[in-house]
Amino acid sequence: MPRPIHITTPIEPLESRIKRLRIPKARQKEWLAIMREPDSDSPATQEIKLISRISAFRPGENLQRAATTR
Amino acid sequence: MPRPLVDPNSVFLNIPYDEEFDKLYLAYVVGLYQLGLVPFLASGIPGGERRLDRVLTLIRNCRYLIHDLSRVELNVASPSTPRFNMPLELGMTIAWAKLYPKRHTWFVWESEKYRMQHSISDLNGADPYIHEGTVTGIFSELQSAFVFRDAPPVGEMMKAYDLIERKIGRILATTGTPSIYSATFFKELCFISLDAVGISRFKRLQENQGVNLQWNLKGSKRLRIADADF
Repeated sequence: MPRPIHITTPIEPLESRIKRLRIPKARQKEWLAIMREPDSDSPATQEIKLISRISAFRPGENLQRAATTR
Repeated sequence: MPRPLVDPNSVFLNIPYDEEFDKLYLAYVVGLYQLGLVPFLASGIPGGERRLDRVLTLIRNCRYLIHDLSRVELNVASPSTPRFNMPLELGMTIAWAKLYPKRHTWFVWESEKYRMQHSISDLNGADPYIHEGTVTGIFSELQSAFVFRDAPPVGEMMKAYDLIERKIGRILATTGTPSIYSATFFKELCFISLDAVGISRFKRLQENQGVNLQWNLKGSKRLRIADADF
């Protein structure tokens, strides 16, 4: 097993990490609103929507591999 | 040539960009933020600069460099060629780290045990981290690789991941971003990962202290005390 790295450098505070991303405030509010939305869809509907964008299978389980870009 | 500054908590992610890797990509980004680290992707740097130059810039500036070789395989699209980008970038990293060993630490990640020893025997002796192609595997191995004083348990990392995964479709639809590997979406993912870090740690604080607190990204006075832990 490789030797672990002990993180001892100070962790940058959350707010300054967010500031570094340089995202407009309006956008931040928009995404925060999405994050706070209750999950109104049923689990089945959510699953269907996610499958269309994100593979539901672990690598190796889906035998038909999509075309790759890298 | 003056040596570039190295961000002490930065992590260069050398990963494949394809749909089947989506979950693991999210796991890497969410997991690294949970550990107080900052991930960087070559595709996350916007601009017309040649990609190789972007990769070189990240290799020089990042303290830690994670190379995931789990998807180095033949491309399905014609012509069927092996995907050499990840090993190429690993080679560049190793050469640069040899010049500046105290400034950079590189890691190889794989999904299968002993496969790296067959595919790149030159690296025998450099043990890879094996995530088994799963999200919990990524979190577990990140915790093994990076020991962080206030590291959350894997269960908490999964909650943050689940929260983000539930919202990805909505965010993509809202922003019209074509790919989760684009520079635009990567920035969005970083932002919501930071928010998810706050939410999950705040819940832990609430549970531990039995106090009813409201998480607010803007930061309340009460939050600023907890903010020092993030």
